[in-house]
Amino acid sequence: MGQSNPPFMSGVPELLLLRLLDQREMYGYELVKAIRRVTEEAISLGEGVIYPVLHSLEKRSFLQARRKKVDGRTRVYYSLNAEGRRHLRRLQEDWQRIQTGVTTALDKPAGA
Amino acid sequence: MRDHRLDALQEELLNAGIAPQNVKRLIIELNDHLEDLRLDEIARGETDAAARNMARDRLGDLSMLANQMRQRDELKDWIYRYPAIARIYLPLVWFLLLPAAPLFAGLAKPAEAMRWGAALMMSAGLTALLFLSMQLAIALT
Repeated sequence: MGQSNPPFMSGVPELLLLRLLDQREMYGYELVKAIRRVTEEAISLGEGVIYPVLHSLEKRSFLQARRKKVDGRTRVYYSLNAEGRRHLRRLQEDWQRIQTGVTTALDKPAGA
Repeated sequence: MRDHRLDALQEELLNAGIAPQNVKRLIIELNDHLEDLRLDEIARGETDAAARNMARDRLGDLSMLANQMRQRDELKDWIYRYPAIARIYLPLVWFLLLPAAPLFAGLAKPAEAMRWGAALMMSAGLTALLFLSMQLAIALT
């Protein structure tokens, strides 16, 4: 598993969570496993940290949450709504722009 | 599986002003997550005790999680988000509404209000009758 790198992680969990929830409804543990799978374990999170992000996204009306009883346990399933999809597009564009900028800077010879 | 660290986290978040419904849901989710992690580790051949410890490790540092919750104003109770409303305007509104309190009470419990009103009127009627009798007695003597 990759090392966690908090200084570079700002906004990344939010982007990944929105991207995964764009595909289908999921609950917390499912999302953590999916993050590990889609990033090929390059990104490692303390698993609990996804919940403040999920709650915040829901409060900002990007996600909907619903409780569901599964095998006697209560699970909270999250799904993306239309506003959340728009927010995801914006974040993706920002991410692409930053990524391009950083890649360009790293590709230039030092002192150029 | 109940992790006692979650009780401390719950208290810490409530003290920090996180809305009780958000705290409650977070604790439910973390408990469920821990249980999934424990079952995962058991399925990989760990003993129950080892699986519990590994689940706690994988869940991560709860103080960091508490910090993340604290930094998000949208998760706080409205009293903490809008302290001016809570501390200045709300008491003022209640003060202005105070004279209308009997009306609100009457609307909330109409049957009791009717009984109370009838008793009050009867009491006032009785007082008036006694007063008039007294006046009549004074006039006659």
